[in-house]
Amino acid sequence: MSIVTVQLGQCGNQIGFEVFDALLSDSHSSQGLCCKRENEAYQASCKERFFSEEENGVPIARAVLVDMEPKVISQTLSKAAQSGRWKYGQHACFCQKQGSGNNWAYGYSVHGPRHEESIMNLIRKEVEKCDSFSGFFIIMSMAGGTGSGIGAFVTQNLQDQYSNSLKMNQIIWPYGTGEVIVQNYNSILTLSHLYRSSDALLVHENDAVHKICAKLMNIKQISFSDINQVLAHQLGSVFQPTYSAESSFHYRRNPLGDLMEHLVPHPEFKMLSIRNVPHMSENSLAYSTFTWAGLLKHLRQMLISNAKMEEGIDWHVRPSLSGPSSLGKMSLNKDLHFNTSIANLVILRGKDVQSADVEGFKDPALYTSWLEPVNAFNVWKTQRAFSKYEKSAVLVSNSQFLVKPLDMIVGKAWNMFAS
Amino acid sequence: TCALWQLLFRVLSPLPAGNALASIALEVQARLVKSALCSQGYPRLALAQLPEDGSQGSRELLLALSWLLARGPVPEQMLAQTRVPLGDEMTVCQCEALASLGPPAPHMEAEGPVDVRHVQWLMGKLRFRWRQLVSSQQEQCALLSKLLRTLEHESRRLEAVLAWRRAEPVFWQWMDTVLGTCAPEAPAAASQPTFLPWVPECGDGELELVVRELQTLEEELREAVERRRVAWEAKARGCGRGPEWSAARRAFRETVEKELGALQRCWEQDSGPAPAHGPHRLVRREDGAAGDRDLQAAELIRTLRSQEACLEAVLRQLQGQCRQELARLAGALPGLIWIPPPGR
Repeated sequence: MSIVTVQLGQCGNQIGFEVFDALLSDSHSSQGLCCKRENEAYQASCKERFFSEEENGVPIARAVLVDMEPKVISQTLSKAAQSGRWKYGQHACFCQKQGSGNNWAYGYSVHGPRHEESIMNLIRKEVEKCDSFSGFFIIMSMAGGTGSGIGAFVTQNLQDQYSNSLKMNQIIWPYGTGEVIVQNYNSILTLSHLYRSSDALLVHENDAVHKICAKLMNIKQISFSDINQVLAHQLGSVFQPTYSAESSFHYRRNPLGDLMEHLVPHPEFKMLSIRNVPHMSENSLAYSTFTWAGLLKHLRQMLISNAKMEEGIDWHVRPSLSGPSSLGKMSLNKDLHFNTSIANLVILRGKDVQSADVEGFKDPALYTSWLEPVNAFNVWKTQRAFSKYEKSAVLVSNSQFLVKPLDMIVGKAWNMFAS
Repeated sequence: TCALWQLLFRVLSPLPAGNALASIALEVQARLVKSALCSQGYPRLALAQLPEDGSQGSRELLLALSWLLARGPVPEQMLAQTRVPLGDEMTVCQCEALASLGPPAPHMEAEGPVDVRHVQWLMGKLRFRWRQLVSSQQEQCALLSKLLRTLEHESRRLEAVLAWRRAEPVFWQWMDTVLGTCAPEAPAAASQPTFLPWVPECGDGELELVVRELQTLEEELREAVERRRVAWEAKARGCGRGPEWSAARRAFRETVEKELGALQRCWEQDSGPAPAHGPHRLVRREDGAAGDRDLQAAELIRTLRSQEACLEAVLRQLQGQCRQELARLAGALPGLIWIPPPGR
């Protein structure tokens, strides 16, 4: 089933490009470690989900590009066309010449309603192209004006007009030391509106991805393109085709729906984090081998200690060994900065994936008292390797990871408001 | 004349019709027609000598067309090429042993207070399933309308073939007169070696080759299995002992033996008709003669109906259990107002 992506603002459009590029490159990769027929099924599934087909065979991304300035969109369109392997639809973009001045209200109350019809028309055309439609990705940043304000407005409209379709917002959490003065206002306004109209908010933290680029990928001069590529890699490792649970002969038809059903059915807990191992520069990759046991051990500790990457993990944080008394557990966990999860989804891709042991994630100590691990934890395993990594694992988690950053943003916003 | 060249090309071309065909130049089409007719053994030389620009030779082309029509059921062959495969196929699976266990039963708390957050969680899951159901129905509508359009095209083609069959006797009467007006071909035609197409005969020689290949493959597989078994046993020996381990081992062995037995039953030819598996085409037959792997529709319908009855009974039982559970929960939390779904 197909997903239509709405790319909003500078951030959304630049990231959107990297996502489609990563998805298509991986689907065409010859290092999938599987037979030709398997690879073709994988490719077909990825293509049907994210691209539509034109007569001369060049896949067209199922995307709508929206920005209030023309520069980034035209750059994005030409980068895609230059790749030669895919492109955006000719009439799939909407832009103005004014910009939003990092003003959330300008995006939400002025630009949104003014251009509502044009934008929703573009989206409708893209949805009509899908034979079977599962839902939307909305890629936006929280700190700026266009992505955040128009993003909130568009998501609300999608809720009204496509109430049965799923909506996942890919939210870019700004740098803690970001340069937009009103970014905390923008963030809070965005989150509060999105919580009502979106089904899932998948948060990508700029700080975390930046550290991954610096420490793990050894990139000296980190550009936005590097950051966006890591982000795209993380998203790709979640949404590329995976086997369905019932039969290992078919790729899952609706990964977005299955993911949402596993992780965000509770209306008050919609925020998700994403953590991916391993991350390595291409040069180092040739000299490294991984075991599932090692990868999963790191991933589990990253979850528990709320680490964002596999370096510098605090191994002292452990699940409490005390009994099932939930109050006792909570206070102990607070002291140890233990990250309790509501639900987790682990997706494994690559060689010998059937032998990977995920028992460590089924420990009841990781989860809240009102949801047992059998309901809270799911694992998807696929033989086909992802993007040059012989083994890769990604964890999408509904947990307490954002409590601190959120507190910080709210605190700063109040301070600014009160001063 | 051009139209006749194109028609002959379309008939002789092995590819299904597509936009690509329309773009091939007339000369290329004509040359392909000539070589195809030659390889099929068309006796008249005059056609091979026709100019390829479509300026003359309509009578020769007409004769070639009627030669093809006389040889085989051309319209029916072309219909079979462009047959819409959907709508007359169904997948059948009678393999019971290999059937999956289905989704695991949802974990039900035996007793004790139920956290309202857990209930909210379950409600959310239900809501998602509901939305997915709606999306699936929309998908079904879109695909059905596509199917309808394709079927309409096909029925138009079928009607055209029927019209042709009705008018056919007139065509042959006319072609007799056309042939009559032709000058008889020079007997020199016999001296030209006719290039008869080489039809590969699937004689016993081929079969033997295949049998030998399969035997070699079986040998290789057996060796590979043996190697793997040895390696696994070496590994398993180092895995330690203990009651849990041997119990687990026993369980594994039992499951594997069960699956292996099922697989062997599927492959055994002499244990009666193998359970049907895979796509079957729905064909209407008057004589009631059934082939080896054919199934009677009536029988299948009966089996499916009984399976449906069983599943419905299970569904009703589960619904009853759910209703009882809901009633119990409603009683257990007096402060809450429960609005049950409309009964059926």
